Amino acid sequence: MKKYGCNQVNWAFSRRDFLTRTGGGFGAVALSSLLAENPLTAAPTAPVNSPLAPRLGHYAAKAKSVIFLFMEGGPSHLDTFDPKESLKKHAGKPLPPSFTKGLITAMGEYNSPIFPDQRQWKQHGQGGLWISDWCKHVAESADDIAVLRSCWANGIVHSNGVCQMNTGSILAGRPSLGAWVSYGLGTLNQNLPAFVAMQDNNGTVVNGPRNWGAGFMPAVYQGTRILPGNEPIANLNTPEGVSDEQQRAKLDFLNTVNRQHAAARPQQSELDARIAAYELAFRMQAEAPETVDLSKETEATKKLYGMDDSVAAPFGRMCLLSRRLVERGVRFVQLYSGAGSKWDAHSGIEKNHGDRFRETDQPVAGLLKDLKSRGLLDSTLVIWGGEFGRTPMSEKGNGRDHNPTGFTMWMAGGGVKGGQVIGTTDEFGLHAVEDRLHVHDLHATILHLLGINHEQLVYSYKGRPERATMNEGEIYRRITG
Amino acid sequence: MNLFRLSATALLAAALFPTVASHAAAPQPSAADLAFYEQTVKPILAGACFECHSHEAKKFKGGLALDSTAAILKGGDTGPAVVPGDVEKSLLIKAIRYTDADLQMPPKNKKLGSDQIAALEKWVKLGAPMPESGKQVVRGKITEQDRQWWAFVPVRKPVVPAVSGQQSAGSNPIDAFILQKLAAAQLKPSPAADRATLARRVHFDLTGLPPTPFELDQFLTDKSAAAYEKLVDRLLASPRYGEKWARHWLDLVRYAESDGYKADDYRQHAWRYRDYVVKSLNADKPYAQFITEQLAGDELYFNAKPEARNPDHLVATGYFRAGIYEYNNRDVRGQWQRIIEDITDTSADVFLGVGLQCARCHDHKFDPLLQKDYYRFQAFFAPLLPREDLVVATPAERAAHDEKLAKWETATADIRAEIEKLLAQAKKNAIAGALEKFIEDIRVDMSKPVAERTPYEHQIAELAYRQVTYEFDKLDAKLKGEPKERLIALRKKLTEFDSLKPAALPPLFGATDVGPVAPVTYLSKGKSKEAIAPGHLSVLDPKDVQVAALRNSTGRRRELARWLTAPENPLTARVMVNRLWQGHFGRGLAANASDFGKLGEKPSHPELLDWLAATFVESGWSLKAMHRLMVTSATYRQTSANSEFASAQRFDPDNRLLSHFPIRRLEAEQIRDAVLAATGELKLEPAGGPGTDQLTPRRSIYSKWLRNAPNPLLNVFDLAEPFQSVAQRNVTTTPPQALLLLNSQMMLRHARAFAKRLEEEHPSSDEDMVNAAYRLAFSREPRPIERSSALQFLTEQKQRLGAKGSQDKARGFAAEKMPYRDGVAAVVSPDMGGDALAVPDSPSFPTGDFTIEANILARTVDATAAVRTIAAKWSGDSKKPGWGFALTGDGSRRKPRTLVLQIMGVKQDGSFGEDAIFSDQVLALAKPYAVAATVKLATATTPGEVVFYVKDLSNDDEPLSVAKVPHKITGGFTNPLALNLGGRAGKGGGFDGMLDDVRFSTGALKQEELLLGAEASVTEATVGLWPFESKPSAFKDATKHANDIQLKPTGAKATASARAAAVADLCHVLLNANEFVYID
Repeated sequence: MKKYGCNQVNWAFSRRDFLTRTGGGFGAVALSSLLAENPLTAAPTAPVNSPLAPRLGHYAAKAKSVIFLFMEGGPSHLDTFDPKESLKKHAGKPLPPSFTKGLITAMGEYNSPIFPDQRQWKQHGQGGLWISDWCKHVAESADDIAVLRSCWANGIVHSNGVCQMNTGSILAGRPSLGAWVSYGLGTLNQNLPAFVAMQDNNGTVVNGPRNWGAGFMPAVYQGTRILPGNEPIANLNTPEGVSDEQQRAKLDFLNTVNRQHAAARPQQSELDARIAAYELAFRMQAEAPETVDLSKETEATKKLYGMDDSVAAPFGRMCLLSRRLVERGVRFVQLYSGAGSKWDAHSGIEKNHGDRFRETDQPVAGLLKDLKSRGLLDSTLVIWGGEFGRTPMSEKGNGRDHNPTGFTMWMAGGGVKGGQVIGTTDEFGLHAVEDRLHVHDLHATILHLLGINHEQLVYSYKGRPERATMNEGEIYRRITG
Repeated sequence: MNLFRLSATALLAAALFPTVASHAAAPQPSAADLAFYEQTVKPILAGACFECHSHEAKKFKGGLALDSTAAILKGGDTGPAVVPGDVEKSLLIKAIRYTDADLQMPPKNKKLGSDQIAALEKWVKLGAPMPESGKQVVRGKITEQDRQWWAFVPVRKPVVPAVSGQQSAGSNPIDAFILQKLAAAQLKPSPAADRATLARRVHFDLTGLPPTPFELDQFLTDKSAAAYEKLVDRLLASPRYGEKWARHWLDLVRYAESDGYKADDYRQHAWRYRDYVVKSLNADKPYAQFITEQLAGDELYFNAKPEARNPDHLVATGYFRAGIYEYNNRDVRGQWQRIIEDITDTSADVFLGVGLQCARCHDHKFDPLLQKDYYRFQAFFAPLLPREDLVVATPAERAAHDEKLAKWETATADIRAEIEKLLAQAKKNAIAGALEKFIEDIRVDMSKPVAERTPYEHQIAELAYRQVTYEFDKLDAKLKGEPKERLIALRKKLTEFDSLKPAALPPLFGATDVGPVAPVTYLSKGKSKEAIAPGHLSVLDPKDVQVAALRNSTGRRRELARWLTAPENPLTARVMVNRLWQGHFGRGLAANASDFGKLGEKPSHPELLDWLAATFVESGWSLKAMHRLMVTSATYRQTSANSEFASAQRFDPDNRLLSHFPIRRLEAEQIRDAVLAATGELKLEPAGGPGTDQLTPRRSIYSKWLRNAPNPLLNVFDLAEPFQSVAQRNVTTTPPQALLLLNSQMMLRHARAFAKRLEEEHPSSDEDMVNAAYRLAFSREPRPIERSSALQFLTEQKQRLGAKGSQDKARGFAAEKMPYRDGVAAVVSPDMGGDALAVPDSPSFPTGDFTIEANILARTVDATAAVRTIAAKWSGDSKKPGWGFALTGDGSRRKPRTLVLQIMGVKQDGSFGEDAIFSDQVLALAKPYAVAATVKLATATTPGEVVFYVKDLSNDDEPLSVAKVPHKITGGFTNPLALNLGGRAGKGGGFDGMLDDVRFSTGALKQEELLLGAEASVTEATVGLWPFESKPSAFKDATKHANDIQLKPTGAKATASARAAAVADLCHVLLNANEFVYID
């Protein structure tokens, strides 16, 4: 078999012999699965040597899949998981100069007065996690959650922050974490994309689709956007005005043309690869609509995800879809809440975050509970957070500016020990202090839970050994307890 | 240990260097072992141990350091840490295993992972290999061996090997080098490809387009001996050559036309650099000159006599502006540093072809590239200052312009003064608001008089000040009421003097130096920092470079260009000929085209590479001469179907020795261009100019290159991501490609255009049509068996479609993805006729207050005052009732490219007439917006109000623009006409561009009820929502009212369309075929 340079990725295998022997063509194979009653069982086995064939990690993995709940725009840690008495005590005063020396904030709010939170706080679960009333549903799963209070990042603005949380770098051009995972582990279901992204509205997530891009890696590793509505994947449906019969005839003819072409080129495996890609496209056409069809879910399940509430329904649907995707072997699912920086509460944080949590709290809680009751939480790592947190200082009197120097994320499932708090921020919640976790550390830890050693997952690009964590990052091993 | 993806470099190193199987302490660890240490072991030690046990940290807890072989062997208080080769006797291993309660490292329950322990065990087993110095690979100096690396030794033109026998006709020295290696491997070259195959190959390779049937015939019927050479010369002389090869250069310099951050603003003038590259290549500008202009065009320009200055030299400095930029980054210094680093990294990749980027943080671990070299190289670029205040014009053009402008200025002085006065306060506020956002230091820099700033302060202040001027465009919108009306009147009055005003000279999008004095470039070493002078790679020239300052410039970049283009520079020519080779043969002679270092793989044919490099310089750096040499070689002309494939596979599975021509998939642009060429849609002229949207059938290089909204077709076929230099594109084969080619409306549209062309050009018979289709798609005649299966398909498909009644109704519109949006939008154009998307009048339609919303992207507006309609229930006759929501033309009496709602109805005074209500919000072309107009009618006593909303969908930061405009219409505008989307019932007024999510509602909706780009949804008030998605149907109204779009009856055309549809299906299949996207 032909070898490829690292920039050549194909489904390279000799399928042609099989097709020739059986007298079918890819059209026939594809359509047999398309028309079969149960596409899951009718789908042929995954092609060998797919660049997305499932692979073992470096060591036994805790998690098989990831669901990353990305609160885009930067949710406040000070009003949710990291309560600070000092905010009330020093309300209205500026921060001591020792805290703000050299501090640059996005909107220049370094001298603004301290803005106290207006939340009700309670301790939850055996671990006694402090969680505010904005997350009352998620708080019910407190003992499944590890709260990481000491996260920090480099980007002070959204594009830098979102880019770094996804790719490790504040500058564009690197593969996203999901792409690294697809590259490292492949996927467990060849008929669905390995890496899926969804967003709760039709706005543009900051930086657009490159958040789930493959950067310098081949495009096979990039995330696929699952769209709401009747066509979950772009161009998945047979186009309007083309009947199944007409489409089928076209596929058969395409198969004929390709076979006539290939007959004179027996050694060109690239051609087989392309035939295989068409087959896969059609298996996807069969499986993807079934995956996103929620009609067979019970009312109780939908209710668990808040889908009976029109405010929570859109994100609830995405959370429920995520469960269905990981159930079917999708490796990495990323959900954007507030696509277009809608968590960005520069002013009116009460309304802003209040709205966002009404949209997401119950769906996220439903996801945790549903995964758990189905025995999927152990193998699914759920991550919650944004690109940064928010400042203790106010902006415009009732909002908060961006704070990448100290913020909270949480993780659940996938081997994470719940009910624990990791790290601290300073007394105002401005800087991470103890057990500081840079984005690279978070990525190293996530990869670790998936059985990948981030130092050993290497992609060679332009002669440089590239790693997801850019030669930095440490695994935070205590996360598993 | 399951190293399923053992670091590729370790494998590479293992392949490059003979491995010494060392199980005891080897005095000279092998490169593979060292790579294992650097990549696997050291990160573990650094992460877990060095903090307490290293020279670097100056900590020796328990007397132990772990960062040198000597220290490890000496060990700490408890003895040697490692016994090389003996895992069980090594204390280090014991400690990390945590088996002994008294010896547990790292301490405090931070036991390493099992994988890490395994790695260290393996390392000890290997003999604990470490680099000699033990500590960080601090090279600090360059050895003689380093200087002997193939890429750093001077190019010497080798003697062309004498090869006996087998030379085929037209062979040149390239073939001798290739044959020599093939013979050594006992392989034979393949025979020449047939002429049609060769023609298609060389057409795509040199011009990026397939041969037209005429061009193909011309070549095939030319029986002269030099027919092929003539073809090559013709192609090299074609303007299409520059369009093809410029793309490779643009990939290298990560060119794009938008900012590439959260805001992806379009760069109006970036395209001039793209045209400069195309033009330079077409002119066969010597490569040395080409790169000198890009690196130091401004220094050439300003140091020439004014009359001898070439504006192209300034345009060439667009090279420095191709990278990403964030318009509102408050961390000004941080952003400037990243810009300079980006330019440094890119320039090293492009011009030097070495991985200098590694040396930004440390000496390169494998190549003789010092950290200092990175900053020496960066110092050439450190004085840069981005410029947009210069113009691209000859002195004569400038003089003519200035003279005319002076007259206009005199004539309009009063008007402009009054405008300025009106805006003075708004401007003051804008400046204050923008300044406030910076930290004190930056404001200090900005407030200093220019003369008192250091060069660095000036760079920072200028960069920061862009954020201030950015606000100036929005000043008009800050005025309200009376002053606003006055301002509009003044602006209108100003236009009366337009005939006096000269056309603006094209502004530069480029750079110069900040001045003759350079800011200091520092290399940070811990807490101290060292000032670094400019210099070249130490391995080639260790001296600091002395540069005499020019008048307004440091002269540093001119010196860099001089060094790069000096004939003795060993890198420049090698790097470039290797890129050309890669372009023709799929991979370079040295496979990593931008890394000639040790990790980059040695060249397969080093002598050939040197021969080409030397020849390149001898030819006066002529790129075309090199192309000619390569594509006229017998090596290039080989067939791709090697009859001796089995032995070639065994001895040379990657075909590095080129025993046959490698089959290749077309690149993204070639696929799109080839589709347009086959369908006959391609417009080659005008070449160049501003980028156009994806619908315009120009060559892809002239498409708008938006970083965050790439063209979907190009993107799916591995477009280079323009964020960093790309030397070689990925080639992937993926299901999304198949889905897009097979199911997208875009490809169906192309297939119909292809079919239409066939029907027009070959109406006589199906057979003629099939022959032509093959010629256009595959550049060859179909073989008899292919012809008969195509004809059979046509016949059967016609029957199928005829029996069912044609499915392919004359569609009202094509559907395409709108940039920055999901799903598809309707593509409309004025020539479709105003009623192409007609929704019949419905009792559900509002008769009073109403709201109309849409997402729009206007490709053009009318050049006159005529409007382009988004939606209308109107004939265009201002004496008849109705309304229209539209975009004004460039000649609008009120304001060009602004929203207008025209309502013909009963006014407050009871008369019937028109009220044209203008929003005064100016929209840019080819940019997606969500627009809305809410119409509250007047009563006899109170005026009505239209509120216009405009949301830029490409930039979330851009605030929603809201304009409230009073009007006099009380009602009486209803009529039985259809609601037309993208047009109106009568003549003219058709929209040109894309429409999506058009929503029509009863009542004047409040802001929070509007979509403004959000997911389209229906409420009680909605009487029609047209999302144009193919499921359930592009024509369906999503509301319960079923106000569907009615297609125009197709009449007589319907009978002919079964054939047309069948032909379109045939065409569609050919465009999907492997043969279409692969060249042999």
